[in-house]
This record gives sequence, structure tokens and C-alpha cells, in this order.
Amino acid sequence: MYSVILTELGISVFDDEKLEKSFPFSNPVKEYLLVKNKESKLNELINYLASIQRGVSVSDDALLAILKKNNIDSQIMEDSELERIQASKPQIIVDSGFASNPQDALGKLREFALGLSSSKVTEVSESPDLHIIQAINSLDEIDKIANALSSRLREWYGLHFPELDNVIDSINGYAQIVMAGKRESLTKQVFEDAGFPESKVEMLSLISTKSRGGDISDVNLAIVQSIAKQILDFHDLRKKLEEHVESEMQTIAPNLSAILGTAVGARILGRAGSLKRLASLPASTIQVLGAEKALFRSLKTGSQPPKHGLLFQHAMVHAAPRWQRGKIARAIAAKAVIAARVDVYGDGLNKTLLEKLNVRVDEIGKKYENPTEKDIRRPESFRRDGGNFRDNSRRRDDRGGRRDDRGGRRDDRGGRRDDRGGRRDDRGGRRDDRGGRRDDRGGRRDDRGGRRDDRGGRRDDRGGRRDDRGGRRDDRGGRRDDRPSSNKNKKRKQFGRR
Amino acid sequence: MTDQVQIKTKRENSLEEDNPAFFWIKSEGQQKLATENLVPGNQVYKEKLIVKKGIEYRLWDPFRSKLAAAIMNELENFPFENKTKVLYLGASTGTTVSHISDIVGPSGIVFAVEHASRVARDFLDRVAAYRKNIMPILQDARRPKEYFSVFGKVDVVYVDIAQPDQTEIAIDNCEMFLKKGGYFFLVIKTRSIDVTKSPKKIIEEETQKLQPKFEVLQSIDLHPYDKDHAIVIAKSRG
Repeated sequence: MYSVILTELGISVFDDEKLEKSFPFSNPVKEYLLVKNKESKLNELINYLASIQRGVSVSDDALLAILKKNNIDSQIMEDSELERIQASKPQIIVDSGFASNPQDALGKLREFALGLSSSKVTEVSESPDLHIIQAINSLDEIDKIANALSSRLREWYGLHFPELDNVIDSINGYAQIVMAGKRESLTKQVFEDAGFPESKVEMLSLISTKSRGGDISDVNLAIVQSIAKQILDFHDLRKKLEEHVESEMQTIAPNLSAILGTAVGARILGRAGSLKRLASLPASTIQVLGAEKALFRSLKTGSQPPKHGLLFQHAMVHAAPRWQRGKIARAIAAKAVIAARVDVYGDGLNKTLLEKLNVRVDEIGKKYENPTEKDIRRPESFRRDGGNFRDNSRRRDDRGGRRDDRGGRRDDRGGRRDDRGGRRDDRGGRRDDRGGRRDDRGGRRDDRGGRRDDRGGRRDDRGGRRDDRGGRRDDRGGRRDDRPSSNKNKKRKQFGRR
Repeated sequence: MTDQVQIKTKRENSLEEDNPAFFWIKSEGQQKLATENLVPGNQVYKEKLIVKKGIEYRLWDPFRSKLAAAIMNELENFPFENKTKVLYLGASTGTTVSHISDIVGPSGIVFAVEHASRVARDFLDRVAAYRKNIMPILQDARRPKEYFSVFGKVDVVYVDIAQPDQTEIAIDNCEMFLKKGGYFFLVIKTRSIDVTKSPKKIIEEETQKLQPKFEVLQSIDLHPYDKDHAIVIAKSRG
């Protein structure tokens, strides 16, 4: 039986150890790949094998498939034979006349390896999904830069014309006005060109004459204007990128775009690395892409796993009530991964995916219209502090933590007064943490009647004690706590408005 | 600068003295690891080149290369020498591969397998294109049967891949390509295997997996050069 051996440099036919005929590749990398992809015709080899009328054993699966297709009586080699070939490859190459000596064979093999690797790198670099990933990443980066520059522009030009900042929300309009120059040269025409409605133009021209801003030197203005110019340019570039991502996503991943939308789809694609990789991920992974930090924290510490990562940006998740978001994100992720698979291995747009997703999301909306019990409790505790200022939110965290430590107390919240009783018992342990103040408090509590005096006292050393207060307040139960802080809020708001 | 440079070919403590694989070079007042540059003038990762007595040496950074870190942390067996054949899985950008290529010399050979095309691009440009003893292979280490151009058995298999099942993949590769009595270097990235388990436990478990077919010689914690990384050196039985 003849053996047909595929090497990197050509195909050889051996009878036992003796070379019968060899078919060198003229362009090894290309032809080797053709054989491996079963696309090669190999006319010469097939004619030769047909003419000798003998069964052959073949060293390679792909080569075997080609021969079988051409009705050559062939089979795959035994493992021991394959191993022998693998071990003596340079010698076989020399024997086949593909190289003059083992050293030469090595050199040619290496050249082949380099060529093949390079062609693979080139092939991957050409895939359109890599370009989409770069585009969406640039878009996010440009947003970041433009935002930073925008606030800088508002600050700087605000020295000259502070009132403008409050009146104009769109940074594009703001930058256009800056481009027009100093406050004095701002005419109605300028405001109209920037695309503001009649009423706003009136107001703008009024306040521009009465501005409290200082003068700005020409040099400074020139720099400020070039910043404004950059922002306007970024705006254009962003628009272009957005359109580009949109159209590219529609062509290479129409199903994914249908489920996720082009922007979110592209970001998910970027996280996964490539469309093919995305298609091989489990839906649960896609659901939390972008929330890796929270996911690993949850794996490590057993805290709540994240409900959604990048998917939070999806309109359906974003618009849903909080207690439905996890369910919706899961439904979307499940459909998104199927969509990615259709995009890679299937053909065209499959509309049933989106329809099914919509049905499921509607179902979630109906079935879980009201938050479950677990969900009711938490928002209530949040709401109690809701609308307060930052200090409170910090306090809230503290409290949350403390409550957890204490185990089941959260459950029997309903009767807050009962809790208090319970908390008092705990005290012994807590006293240490908080230092002597507790003791003081104990005292205070006794002469509760005169709470006003206490408060008065507390007010004096407010500054340093605020943290402690957070703690103290917990002990006393929520209702009372809120009072001083809400008073404070009122005061702050008044100041703010003035 | 070159005048102050002192070269010692003597290895520290346990390593064999007549193994001129790598050198300790005095640079900036410290003993630093180096290999003789196979391609003089060629830098791979902006490492320092030092010429002494007409021979150019490349400093070997243990913070960049885990093999160098292992040497710094008292590696006992160093099977890489002139003419060694190496199968290297997870070549990445080729930092360690380049030093092994220095050591095995023109008549040795390094089969360097890497799957990710982004790093392979750098590897091809900076390392494989210049070094004639490197055979780059862009394939998934999970499918050793598809490696082309690897021939015969190798003396050493070095595995540095970040996969949860890296040990199994490595053993498969050793079965196909490692000669009997050959050495096996396995870099264990505990964080890639399981973030929730303690690194120590993972290293123990992975080492256990090697027991049936390998004799484990040494297991080195790469601290302080790499966090939660270890390197296990084993020898195939038979």
C-alpha cells in the first residue's frame, strides 16, 4: 500500500520507505491552507493516484476527504505510522526533494510557519468586528474627553460671561456662542445661528448686556475659542462614528443589533472581543458583561451578584422598575446570545427573536407589576432618607452595614420600638466601638424629658460629631432622626436658591 | 559603562556550575540575570543590552518573565541548554521565548504556540522574525493535533496559558510531544483557574493532577515578582 503524506512544503507518495512521486507546493502557505480547507483540486496528484490503481493510506484528514471525493481508494494511517512521520518530518521533506538537507528543511519549515502565522494575523486584522470595537471605543473615549473639555470651557468662558452657563444646556450651542467672541460682540444673529428659539434669543441678548462677568483678554479668548472649536469638532466626529457603528453593526450583526440596539450591541461586542467569541459565550456571562468587578466580589464574598452590566444601558432594562431589571436583563441576554449565534453561523435577520423577547418582557411587566416583599422593604428604608443630602446617604450605608451585622433584626423591623429594646441589649458590645460617648448617651436617655437641651448641646459641636451622630441616630429609631436633617435640608435649599 | 560590568558565569547555589545557560551580570550595583544575545543588537522588550568582551548580553527581567522569576526564587533544575528542543505554550509577546531562544542557541529549537492574534502580531514582528530557532505556531493549545511543523519529541514543555483547565491541556500536549524523562514547566495562574479558592489550595490540586504521569520536582511561589502565581517543575516518568 502506498502512503500519501502531506507536509508543509508539498505532498509525497511513498511506497514503504521509498519515494514514488512528490508534488511540491509552489506557494506553500497558500496551497497548504487550500488543502486544509478541503478546497484544493490537486489534479496532478489525483491523476497519478488514479493511474496507479492501488489503495493508499493518507496522513491527513483533510487530504483524505479530498481524495475520497475523487473516488480514490484511501484510508487514514495508523497512529503509529502518523507518529513516525511526525518524528521524522525534516527527513521526509529531504527525501521528497523539497529541501536539500535537514538544515535546509528546518529553514524552509520555519519560513512556512512564519508565513502561515502572518497570514492568520492578517486575516484576523481584517475582520470587520474588530473595527467596530475600535469605533465604539473611540466614541466612548471622545465622550469622555469632550465632557471634560466642556466643563472646562464653561468655567473659563464663565469668568467672562457667567450667566450663559445657566441659560444654555447644550454644549454645542454654548461652544458656538463662544466662537462668536466676546460678550459685547454677541448679537441676536449669533444666537439665532446657534439655533435657539425666539424667546431664548430675547433673554440672551438682554442678559449679555447686564452681565456681571469680567473682561477677557484677546489671548485668553483665542485659547478659549480653540477649545470651543475642538468641542465642535468632536461633536462632528462623534456623529460620524455613531453613524458608522450603526451601519456596520446592521451589516455584520443584524440580529444582535435588533435585540440590543447598535450602540449597546457594539459595546457588548467590544467586551467579548469578537463576534465569534460573543457567540460562544453563555447568556449568563453576557448578562453581567461590564460588571466584572461586582461579579467577582460576589463570588469572593458571597454578596449579591450583579443583575446587569452593560445591559443596564439597554432601553428596556433602563426604563423598567428596579425589581424587574434583573429578570429583563436575563431575558435580553438569553436572546442576545442566540442572535449573535445566528449572526455568525446563520443567515439574515431573524425577526422571531425580537418578538419573543417583547412577549417575555411584557410578561415580566405584568407578572411582577408590584415589587416582591423583599423589594418593598428596601426601597422603604431608602425612601426614608430619600431626597436628603449626601451625608445622609453615607449614613444610610453605615446603617445598612450595622444592621446586617446584627443578623435577623431587619426582619422584625415592623415594630421599631421593639427593636430599640433589643438594641439596648446589644449595647455592651457596641460601647467599645463608639468610645465613651455611649455612656453619656445612656445618661441622656434617662433624662429624656429634657431632650431639647441635649440637642442644643449637640448643635454646638456639630462639625466634628456628625459621624457619631449617624450612629446615635440609628439607635434612636428613624423617625426622630430625620427631623434635624430635614430641617437642615430646608435651610440648605434656601441658601441654594438665593 | 561597560567597564564596570562584571560577569559571573557561576550560578547561584544549587544550579549546576558548568551550565552556561544564563549569567549573573553586575549592573547598577546589583547582580542581574542575563542571557547571551542570539541576535546582537536586537531588543525584544526594551531590556538593557550589555556588551562585555565582545559578547552581548540581554538582561532578563524577573518581573516580566516568570521563568526568570523562578530562577530568582531558587529554581533547582534548569534543563534549558544548548541544542534543547522546547515546546512553549502561551508564547504571548515572546519575552520569555526570546530568552529561551538565546539559551538553546542556533541548533536548538523553540516551538512557540500562541492563540491570540493580537499578541501574536507583536511576537512575530519582534521575536520570531529575527530568531531562526523559533517556530511560531498560531494555534489553540487545546488542539495539539493541529500543530503543524512540530516534529519529533521535545526535551522540555513550558506551559504558560491562562485557562481554567490549563493543567489538562498541558498534560495532553506533553503526551503528544514530550519525550520520556523530559522536563515539564507549568505556570499556574491561580486567579485564572478559580478566583474563589485560595491560591495555595489550587496549586496543591493542580500538582496532584500531575502525579500519575510526572514526578514533581519543585513548586515555586513567584512572589514578589508575580502575585498568586506559581511554577511547577516536573519530570515525565519513564
